[in-house]
Amino acid sequence: MTTPAATAPLRRNDLGWYLYGVAAADETSVPLGARLAAGAAQKVELVAEGSLVGVASRVSLQEFDEPTLPERLRDATWLEEKIRAHEQVLERVLEDASVVPCRFCTVYRSEVELRRFLSERRETLQAALDRVRGKVEVGVKAFIDSDRFTAGRAKQNDDIRQLETQISTAEGGRAYMERRRLEQLVASELERFRGEAADRIHTHLLAAAEDGLALPLQTPELSGRDEKMVFNGAYLVTADRGAFEDALASLARDIRDDGVDLELTGPWPAYNFVPVELSAE
Amino acid sequence: MSMSEQQTLKHQVTLLELVDRVLNRGVVVSGDITLSVADVDLVYVGLRVLLSSVATLEEPRERISATGAAP
Repeated sequence: MTTPAATAPLRRNDLGWYLYGVAAADETSVPLGARLAAGAAQKVELVAEGSLVGVASRVSLQEFDEPTLPERLRDATWLEEKIRAHEQVLERVLEDASVVPCRFCTVYRSEVELRRFLSERRETLQAALDRVRGKVEVGVKAFIDSDRFTAGRAKQNDDIRQLETQISTAEGGRAYMERRRLEQLVASELERFRGEAADRIHTHLLAAAEDGLALPLQTPELSGRDEKMVFNGAYLVTADRGAFEDALASLARDIRDDGVDLELTGPWPAYNFVPVELSAE
Repeated sequence: MSMSEQQTLKHQVTLLELVDRVLNRGVVVSGDITLSVADVDLVYVGLRVLLSSVATLEEPRERISATGAAP
């Protein structure tokens, strides 16, 4: 975007506006504004423009502008602090009001530019807000413990049970061969189950949610767990989460004997249920 | 809800969960300054080192209790 401000050299004290998200004016009370202003390390302000409110902080343009931003982005400590701050502000808004979360590091050079955005994109923002009103996002991940899966399958599957009995009485090379057969049988059962489990989990949870989507699976390195991830999903649910928690509990009971554990995150602002890009009006 | 179910339904968040949402999702608006795709890639590269080294050490922060109540 080419504006006179964008090309003018920066002065040390130039301030911009970091936009965390957009909320509805009729949900953002005066007390929320006071709490946001008081609590955070960075003072948070509600910039009202018609029916919309931008949740924003004044920030130093020295800190966020193009010449310095790439360098900042390599600074893991700076990044973690800013990422957590972004989320914490939105979570505090979420306690009182619905919010359309913005992408990290969305900064305007002036209040005029911020207000212009809010008024020019009013209809699209309002539609996005209407979709998430009274709702939150919940993340659900499912992991399978292959030992518990095998133990559970041994109870149900005659072939596996029979093989285990044969192994316990066999000796030497024969015992080895039987053990190999058992491993192959369990491995193919596990593969088949993993394919089905994702669909089963998603269908079950989607029925108790407003919307939901399957996200890419994470490797053990990223998930921080040794067990294989079989499902990763995000759901848009009513803020009280009652029906969804019930569905989760019954699902957890059903799949526990298959060696599957569920991991829950949230409530999140509805990051996965807002438009990625706002279409022009 | 039984104890074992409480153990099964773990509620936790890691920095990775945050990164996936705060940097990868959310509305991309026409700010005067926004992260480009290249910037986001850069952030992932920077954080990957940090995340892989702390992933096993970091105590998960409780977000909502097993009974579903807010903290």
